[in-house]
Formats: sequence, C-alpha cells, structure tokens
Amino acid sequence: MLWYLGKRLLQSVVTLFIIVTIVFSLLRLMPEEGYLGAAAEKMTPEQQEVYLTNLGLRDPLIVQLGHFYGDLLQGDLGTSVTYRTDVPVKTIIAEKIMYSILFGLGAVALSLLVGVPLGILMAQMKGRWLDRLGTGYIVFVVAVPAAVYYIFIQMYVTDLFNLPMLFDEYNPVSWLLPLTSMALAPTASYAMWMRRYMVDELNKDYIKLARAKGVKERTLMFKHVMRNAFIPMAQYLPATILFTITGSIYIESLYSIPGMGGLLVDAIQRQDNSVVQGLVLIFSSLGIIGLFLGDLAMALVDPRIKLGKGESVR
Amino acid sequence: MEEIQSKSRILSIQNLIIQFKLRGQVLTAIRDISLDLYKGESLAIVGESGSGKSVLVKSIIGLLEKNGSVAQGRILYKEDDLTKFETEKDWLKIRGKEIAMVTQDPMTSLNPLKTIGKQIEECVVLHQKLKGKEAYQRTLQLLKDVGIHDVEKRYKQYPHEFSGGMRQRIVIAIAIACNPKILICDEPTTALDVTIQAQILQLLKNLQQKYGLTTIYITHDLGVVAKVADRIAVMYAGDIIEVGQTHEVFFNGKHPYTWALLSSLPQLGAKGEELYSIKGTPPNLFKEIKGDAFAPRNPYALKIDFEERPPFFKVSETHFAKTWLLHPNAPKVELPQNLQAFFEEGRRFAHEY
Repeated sequence: MLWYLGKRLLQSVVTLFIIVTIVFSLLRLMPEEGYLGAAAEKMTPEQQEVYLTNLGLRDPLIVQLGHFYGDLLQGDLGTSVTYRTDVPVKTIIAEKIMYSILFGLGAVALSLLVGVPLGILMAQMKGRWLDRLGTGYIVFVVAVPAAVYYIFIQMYVTDLFNLPMLFDEYNPVSWLLPLTSMALAPTASYAMWMRRYMVDELNKDYIKLARAKGVKERTLMFKHVMRNAFIPMAQYLPATILFTITGSIYIESLYSIPGMGGLLVDAIQRQDNSVVQGLVLIFSSLGIIGLFLGDLAMALVDPRIKLGKGESVR
Repeated sequence: MEEIQSKSRILSIQNLIIQFKLRGQVLTAIRDISLDLYKGESLAIVGESGSGKSVLVKSIIGLLEKNGSVAQGRILYKEDDLTKFETEKDWLKIRGKEIAMVTQDPMTSLNPLKTIGKQIEECVVLHQKLKGKEAYQRTLQLLKDVGIHDVEKRYKQYPHEFSGGMRQRIVIAIAIACNPKILICDEPTTALDVTIQAQILQLLKNLQQKYGLTTIYITHDLGVVAKVADRIAVMYAGDIIEVGQTHEVFFNGKHPYTWALLSSLPQLGAKGEELYSIKGTPPNLFKEIKGDAFAPRNPYALKIDFEERPPFFKVSETHFAKTWLLHPNAPKVELPQNLQAFFEEGRRFAHEY
C-alpha cells in the first residue's frame, strides 16, 4: 500500500511538472504586444525593450523555467504583472479560492443529496413514470448547453421567486440560484450512473440467490444492491467534486461571484503570465489529486482491488 | 418402490398452468402439470432448454419474473397454497426457511463485496435465530460440512479468492444454512468441470442424508440424474410427459420423447456414426398446442396424437407416461435396436442389485 502511494505520488509530481512546463512554454509564444497593453503607444521601442527585459522575457526559455521552478520550490508563485501590478499571485488567488471552494462543494453536496436518491428511486421504479420523468430530466440537461439553461434560470426564476440576480456575499438567498444551476448537471450524472449501476446489480445472479435465501427486499436493497452499486461511483466522486470546484467559470461571471473561474479568463486576456501559471498549477493539482483519490477510494471499498507491489488481482 | 409410496407427500403441485405476458402475447410456459414430491426423496426434473423446468421451480419459491403468473392450479405445501401468496411477507415464510435453492452459476451467485462468511451467516441469523458468537460458530460448522478446510481463515475471504467448485460449495452452504425442508438444485453442476461435478453431487447426496432434505434437481444432464435421483420427471414443452422411478424411466421408458432423449446419450451411439439427435424444434408456446406436443417430431406418432392430448397412463404404481401408445388399442411399436439393448441391459443390471 505504501509502495503504491509513493509510486502514485511520484507519478503525480511528474504529470504536474509536464503540464506546467508546457503551459509555461506556450505562454512565452504569445505576441509581445500583449504584455504592454494600452501602454504600448506611449512607449518608445527602447522603453518597450527595457520593460520586457525587466520582466525576464528576454532570457532563454530554459533560464526562465529555472527561475520559475526555483521560486516555486520556495513557495513563491511570483507577483502579478498586469492584473494587479506587484501584488503576489498567492494573495490574489487566496482572496478568490474560498468562493470557488464553497460553491463547488455546495453544488456537489446538493447534487449528491438529490442525484443519488433519484437514481435509486429510478432504478426501483424502472419503466414507470418517475423513471421516465428522471430520464427526461437527464436527457434535457445533457442535450441543452449549460449556458442556455443557466441564462434562463437567471432571467426567469429570479422573477418568479423574486430572487436577487447577482451574488451578494451577505445575502444567503443570493447563493441559491448559482448553487442550483451548478448542481443541475452533476445531479443528472449522479442519477444516471446510480440508476444504471443499480439496475446492473439487480440483474445479477447473486441477487437471485439472496432472494431465494429469504432476504427481505428492503434489506437486499440496502445491504447488497446499494452498496455494490455505489462502488463504481466512488471512483468518479473525487474527480467530479474537484471539477465542480474549478469548472464554474460561467456561473461565476453570470452572477458576479468573485471566484477563481473568472480570474483565469481575465489573466489570460491581460497576458499576466505569473497569475496564469499559478492558476494552472492549482487547477491541475486539483485534477490530479481527484483522480488519485478516486483510485484510492475504489481500492478502499472494493476488496477485489489490491494496491501494492506484486499483489495480483485475481 | 413401496418405500416411497409409504412416505408422506411434502409438496403437491396440482393442475398448474403458468403464463407469461410478452409484448402483448401470452406464452404458456407450464401447461397443466401435476406432480407430488415425497419427503426425503430426490426428484430430478429433466428436459431441454425452454421446457419449463426452471419456471416450475421458480413458481414454488415465488421468484417468477414479474410478467409471469399462475393462471390455474394449486401448489400445496403444509397447510398453504403457494399460488395464493401475493405479498413478500407470505413468501418470506417459505423462501430459505422451508425451501432453499442452489443456483446454477457459482461464479456469479455470490455477492462479490461481502466475505463468504458474512453471506452464510446472513442466512444463519435469518433462519436459525442465532446471534453473535453462536451464529459464527454455526457458520464455521457449515463451512466444514460442505468440505471447506481452514474455515476460520476462509470465513474472512471474498468470493474471488475461491475456485468455481469451492464457490459452489459455499452456495450450497448458504442454502443449507437456511435449514430448509426442500432443497432445489437448479443445474448445480452445469458450470463446473467434470471432476468437480462428481464431488459436488456426492456432497449434495451426503448433505441430503445428514439434514434429512428432500431435493429437486433440475438438469438436462442425464448423467447427473442417474447418480442422484430416486425419481425422474421428464418435461417437454411445459408438460410432464413421463414420471417414474429412475430405473423405470431409464430402462423402461414409455414416452417417445424419453426414448429420443435416451437415444441421444453418447453411450448409445455406435462408434463412427453420427450421434442421434431429435429432428425438428420444440413447439411455439405462444400458440395453443393441440394433442401431444411432441407429435410433430415423433416418428411413432399416431393420428390421435395430433388431435387429443394424452392423459397419464399407468405403467406401474410409480410410473406414468402421457402417450397414446400406452392405450390398450394402440399398435405395438418396435424400439430402435440400440435402445432396446440398452433397456434390457439396464434391467438386467438393476435386477442384480
């Protein structure tokens, strides 16, 4: 187990290194005018040259990379250049990350609370009206682009229930709509997977044997079917949680939530390399951690999976 | 023979008809069957795929698919008519507790995420009203009973850590753990290789004696039947066409379908010749069947076979067959040479014992 953990950790670090290096190099390929922004017209070519040299952009790529990783190892993500000049990237991200995490976790909690029971009910009432209704919902959410129903919700639901259109930290009601909107898609996928795995399990032979030995239908559901159906879900869970934390760019800009999603877009537009790099580092770490936790969760709940050196899966 | 007659009836199926609704059509899977099961015997129900063997036993234990229902008849067990059972609560009195089942495929019949010990113990707790340490001890005893060694370690293992034969032993342990009166073995050896098959059959035989079980085997393997069954019921197209003690059906079979089945035994084939197979296909159970269901495939079919369904004709106290050939007015038919020889040899053999 420890051996496996070490191996996975090393793999994760290597993956992270590759992602960040590629993004870093790509950023250096961007046109240089971007760094100057509106100030470009006021500067002479010589001034521009000095500015870019001071930013370190005239050094060879490998030297720039060396500086970046050197600073990173000391826990320094650098300072913002254009987004908020001379403010450390860490400070900028720290201010915003809480909103993203709160909304992300809130949306996941909501979608788990609704999606998993919905999937269970759908599986039990397979082919009946509730199942059809649920399937309709899933198809709708998957087929219609999120941006479309996001806007509809913001435009009409706010009217209908007289809810605020924009996010206000101190007004809890204003959390409601962005959270619900964000939870719609993951709810659908949890319901879909849960239903599917439940139906799969219910058709298995061991359920027949359990029935034949006189286990009550309800005990069967709770002790045998639900647990077994949940295991494949365990694998995806951490990844979706982290995806939801990072994947709320559109919602954040719709409701003016000061989270991280909008930050990335802003920073890219203003060509603020250090902010972009910092964010990429965080997002990709979250993604990698998610996958890792997924594998780990799977191994913990499923006795058939053994992690470790030389232990084969029979 | 007299021995079995004197034994008491434990289960009685009377004029049972079971139908399934499928895409707006009605399929009659069981067509008016009557069958008695006597205490302590082992009965084998044989027949080809789709003949209704499984449906018949599923109706005994209340596990028919949702679109299936009993259209007529009774299944009497103790003072209950099982066909009247509707709620889960009714069936829970029977399932496991009175009638348990050993399923076909041990590879998929166990919950992959529970230790086998827990799966057996679930039954012990449910049906023997034992708890904690007692239940644990009882489970270990059951594991020993089905021939598993090192039981304390094995208790904590998961199904994937066992071989196919071992898993079938565990499935059997689960069935026995319920303390049933009747044990249904639904093709208990089909998924196993031949050497293991013999062991499992021997195990089932031993357990039957040890626990005083009445067993029903469902199989299409006549070799299994010969090893374990006291009586045989031959099914064809949802009907029992011949029933009798094992040696009676094997060596004095009366129904042409029984003959055809026996003729397709490899032992009866001559070396170098093609193995006998029954021509044609079984009837479509969506349609109403007139006369003897086997008539269209039956080289000995009489005119009446196509018109009127034969009743059971008595061959001996324990042996009955549904064929017009047994009617006093029916013409004599000559059996194929090899089957005739098989019958005679078998009878001689049975006589010596």
